[in-house]
Amino acid sequence: MERRENQTPQGQTAQVLVEFLEVAITAVVFLKGVYPSGAFERRRYMNLVVQRACHPQLRYYIHATVSGLLPFLQKGIVERVAVIFFNSGNVPLEKFVFKLAMNQSYGSAVEEVDLESSLRSFLIKLSISESLTKELPPDCRWEITAYFRSLPETGTNKEADLWIPTDTKQWQQPPLITPIKSMSCEPLCLQLYLEHPCLPESTI
Amino acid sequence: MSLDSFRSSSSSGSGSGSGSGSKRTSSFSNATNKTKTKTKKKKTLGVAWGSNALPPSDFSGYMALKNRKLHDQFHAQSSSSTSTSTSGKPIFTGVSIFVDGFTVPSSQELRGYMFKYGGRFENYFSRHRVTHIICSNLPHTKLKNLRAFSAGLPLVKPTWILDSVAANRLLPWLPYQLHQLANNQPTLSAFFSFKTSKLSDMEDSTTNVCQSQDRHSSKVNGLISTVSNDTIPENENTNAFMLEDSTNLVRVKYDEGSTAATQEKTNVQDELEPNHQEPSTSVSSPCSDDQNVKEFQSSAATRLSKQGHSTLTDPNFVENYFKSSRLHFIGTWRNRYRKRFPMPSAGLNKEISNNSSDVSRNSVIIHVDMDCFFVSVVIRSQPELFDKPVAVCHSNNSKGTSEISSANYPARSYGIKAGMFVRDAKALCPDLVIFPYNFEAYEEVADQFYTILHRHCNKVQAVSCDEAFLDVTHSEVKDPELLASSIREEICKTTRCTASAGIAGNMLMARIATRTAKPNGQYHITPERVDDYLCQLPIDSLPGVGHVLQEKLKKQNVHTCGQLRTISKALLQKDYGMKTGEMLWNYSRGIDSRAVGVFQESKSIGADVNWGVRFNDVKDCDRFLIDLCKEVSLRLQCCGVQGRTFSLKIKKRRKDAVEPAKFMGCGDCENLSHSITIPLATDNVEVLQRIVKQLFGCFYIDVKEIRGIGLQVSRFESAETSKQEKYSLKSWVASGNASMQKQKYPMDQDKQNMDGTSSGECRGGSSVKIQNNQANANPISTPPPLCHLDVEVIRNLPPEVFSELNEIYGGKLIDYIAKGKGTSETSSSLQNLFLEQETAIDKEEELLNLEPIPQRKLLSEIEAMQHGAEQGDAVSGSGCGPIFKVTHSSSFEKDDLLPSSLSQIDGSVLRQLPEDLKAVIVQQLPAHRTQEICSNGAMVPPSENHHVSLSIKTSENPGSSYSVLDDSLWTGNPPKWVEKFKVSSCLLLKIFAEIYSKSGLSSTLSSVLHQIISEFHQLNLAHQISDETVNIISELLKQYIKVRIGRDIEEIYICFRLLKRFAAKSQLFLQVYNSVFPYLQAAVDDNYGGSLFIAS
Repeated sequence: MERRENQTPQGQTAQVLVEFLEVAITAVVFLKGVYPSGAFERRRYMNLVVQRACHPQLRYYIHATVSGLLPFLQKGIVERVAVIFFNSGNVPLEKFVFKLAMNQSYGSAVEEVDLESSLRSFLIKLSISESLTKELPPDCRWEITAYFRSLPETGTNKEADLWIPTDTKQWQQPPLITPIKSMSCEPLCLQLYLEHPCLPESTI
Repeated sequence: MSLDSFRSSSSSGSGSGSGSGSKRTSSFSNATNKTKTKTKKKKTLGVAWGSNALPPSDFSGYMALKNRKLHDQFHAQSSSSTSTSTSGKPIFTGVSIFVDGFTVPSSQELRGYMFKYGGRFENYFSRHRVTHIICSNLPHTKLKNLRAFSAGLPLVKPTWILDSVAANRLLPWLPYQLHQLANNQPTLSAFFSFKTSKLSDMEDSTTNVCQSQDRHSSKVNGLISTVSNDTIPENENTNAFMLEDSTNLVRVKYDEGSTAATQEKTNVQDELEPNHQEPSTSVSSPCSDDQNVKEFQSSAATRLSKQGHSTLTDPNFVENYFKSSRLHFIGTWRNRYRKRFPMPSAGLNKEISNNSSDVSRNSVIIHVDMDCFFVSVVIRSQPELFDKPVAVCHSNNSKGTSEISSANYPARSYGIKAGMFVRDAKALCPDLVIFPYNFEAYEEVADQFYTILHRHCNKVQAVSCDEAFLDVTHSEVKDPELLASSIREEICKTTRCTASAGIAGNMLMARIATRTAKPNGQYHITPERVDDYLCQLPIDSLPGVGHVLQEKLKKQNVHTCGQLRTISKALLQKDYGMKTGEMLWNYSRGIDSRAVGVFQESKSIGADVNWGVRFNDVKDCDRFLIDLCKEVSLRLQCCGVQGRTFSLKIKKRRKDAVEPAKFMGCGDCENLSHSITIPLATDNVEVLQRIVKQLFGCFYIDVKEIRGIGLQVSRFESAETSKQEKYSLKSWVASGNASMQKQKYPMDQDKQNMDGTSSGECRGGSSVKIQNNQANANPISTPPPLCHLDVEVIRNLPPEVFSELNEIYGGKLIDYIAKGKGTSETSSSLQNLFLEQETAIDKEEELLNLEPIPQRKLLSEIEAMQHGAEQGDAVSGSGCGPIFKVTHSSSFEKDDLLPSSLSQIDGSVLRQLPEDLKAVIVQQLPAHRTQEICSNGAMVPPSENHHVSLSIKTSENPGSSYSVLDDSLWTGNPPKWVEKFKVSSCLLLKIFAEIYSKSGLSSTLSSVLHQIISEFHQLNLAHQISDETVNIISELLKQYIKVRIGRDIEEIYICFRLLKRFAAKSQLFLQVYNSVFPYLQAAVDDNYGGSLFIAS
């Protein structure tokens, strides 16, 4: 949790955010039950019980993708980070979307306590929002996708290079949105919502 | 395991057989049982079950069986002994003991007592059945792991049983708690809270003596270490003593203590008592110890409560702590002083303002300082100690870690300094005589001291209880040295303590001169000599130059003021900051422009406790915080101020810190602090407690780590407000009738305003009808005397009541009513209206007498009117609800007469209201309400509109046209719609606004909707669907979406889910929902590229 002193508030927030996203994405994956619950171990983060993947590859995937986002987050060009669950036919079934907005002109110091308590509320809400989500078919896969506001220049950062352009399949119709949590704590505004395909039978 | 159980159960099987068959005597049965068990353990290995016993499946089953059997035996025996009538009163009902280890009397005897007197005896420990554990000694391992062993049950000495039996009643076990526990903790036992009964005292005198000894030593220790917080004393450097019979003093006080009913006094007494004996030197210490014990015993009967010396053991810790703190004495002395000498200082201020310009010119300042005040006062009555080394300290325990607070000159010659541990001091000087504080004597001497100073000079600035500056520039006595010596002589005669004096041209030099003068002398630094004197002066003699600064200067090779002078001012300011640099530059030249007599208002008031703070759990801590709040609240009230900023400081033990060297000290600590600023200054203890609780919650700290807590209050309200505050609620209530009238007057103002407005409106030609809505006026009979003077009502009063009222008003009531009639009936001119406002205000002033009239007269008329209106508003909001209703031709009701923000309320009025009313007002008024939009603005001609705005606080923006579909409903805090809805005729909208403003500034629409659920049923019946309402709510929602959608879709989502729920029940909400829903989806689509899914 140590942070350098000379960071901008945006940089500082991005750092916290990266940590948070790692935890939150793990929480989403755990929530959806893609892996058996034994694949996770209990850890403490921001004074909350959270899950962490035991499997080194899974852990690395989440960790590397998210920390690869750091330079982009600092620049503020990441618009959304989505955890997308696909069925065996590669059709997205459910998306957990983290919508980010970073106030680039915010200049004063970040109240880390406020930020943390806001982020904590995310994790709490997330852990109880299983009822909002839909059952996944047995053989599904998932991935982390980030939506950028503009195409980033090819960075020098090795981890950042892990991000490759992609075109995820879009649904035919605009999705149904179910908000889970929103927070706004200068300079960060973060929202988490679910997207489901707008099919006639999808009404719960 | 199975083998084991098998073995012993076989023995139990046989035991049960024999137990049920034969009746044993009590003292025998268990012993035989045990021996049997033991012997059989070896012999019966492998023996089969008794035929009649069911084999238990495992060990626990076996134990259950065995325990049941033992209980049966026990009951059988106790009932048999009851039948033989040897049993006593069942004093131990509900008590179930378990005896652990060797005890005197033995466990068997105890068992006998138990069933003789209706108690229970457990052979095997069980946390559920056992209520007390009896033991006289515990092994170290058990002590270390006490909770695991005792499961939190009390560990009591066997004497408890014996004493209880002897007393024939169940005695409280606390005094019999196991000694080891008490000693093991640094805080000594919980003996304090229970009086040991006399009977048990007699019964068990030996234990008692030993207990009391313990207590005594703890007390002494406690007293010693209380000094720990004291910083190095400033003003106690002198010798020479004035003496009095101190033993007499002690006796007198002692009698007081024993006769006075007040516990407070006794507490103080308790605190100091052990030290009231003859001072002991280390040579005679064993003997004096005996004395201590004796005295303690003799005085034990007079004590109401025994106290320990940490937050753990002493329920009144905070109170006692401050009672025995020297720093506290010095700190609070100032208030005492100000109360005692208020007049001189008041006169002084005027003078200063007159000739502040020539302060530094040719003035003569005398600095008078008592010589080692704290010592010399104590020994003033014992001349024989005059040239002996004496120190003042909380305790004379020669091994103590208590700190010397003050030492006289003979003692100083041994190298004894303030702040030294007693044991070190005793090592330096074995003959050192140590005295405890005597705060009463200090007060007495300080009062005498200042009485003398004030007699000689009218410009006195008190620095401390024993130190003051006198400005004798304009004194009748021409020679300041003569004056100084006469003052000193008088002080010496009256107080039998000596004082030193320094005379110079300014305060700085006078103070420095005193240093040379000490002890018991005086020194005059004439302006010519200043330079010479300063040249040689070491820099640390300058006030304001401490260790740190001195070190820094030394690095620059500056040791004396002469050297300091060689450095330029600019350079000094560069190196040490503007202020310090300038101070150094000035001081090194003997320049000091401060004027004598400026009594600095303190910037903050608070209380810190850094000694003896130990908590076991949050409860302890909460209790302590409550006490601390009480103390701080008292101090605030003493000073007559109220603060807005509260900061809680906590000393937290460092992780690696060891138990501090000083008993119960704070040791190595981290300092944490949190502070909060509230909008309304307070000194109320409950508010304080709430704030402190909240602040404490911010720390997330383990209470066991806390070593010190301090609460500081700052940002005091202005002197004027604090003056008004003296008109407390009590006095207001007590003055009965008159105060009622006071309250009525503001109402009249209100009415006047309204009337004036209306008349103006009439002139304007618009058809406005005025109603004095009497239905809304509170009946006069309601307990809080908050009714208004309604002209109609007064006119209809029975003549005798009217005349009585008139008498109270000094005959003005008749005029007043006549005038009021005039205004309301005829269209009066503007000037006329103002005149009336003024007369009304004047009357009010006469009655309220809050502020001097001339001052008030300077105010512009409008201001005066506003003030009146404010007061009226404040009162009108206080629960009576809307009092006057002005109904316009449009359906809007102008019932909201509240000022638009708390800041506009007259604080003095608010403060005088009863607590519950106050709460309602505060609740109703957000701290900063935005401007109210004048719904009738367009209808009233501009000049008249000004009047309206006076009464409702919207003096700006008079002609702004009101439109329902304003597109900035959500701007401002609280948002504009709140104001609009408040004045709306629709009940629903009103409720919206009310809930919003009630729920605080930052509340969201969803929380408002949430709360509406509770009132929904009633609402549904009451409101009627009007298109306008639907439109307004829809517009509100649309704008809310617009504001929030980008950043907080969750909030929008919640709102609409709630709305959907409402829509299922209410036609109105259904309409609203349907009209807004498309807009919502469009907005979501714009922002999120999807549609919001709202599950019902």
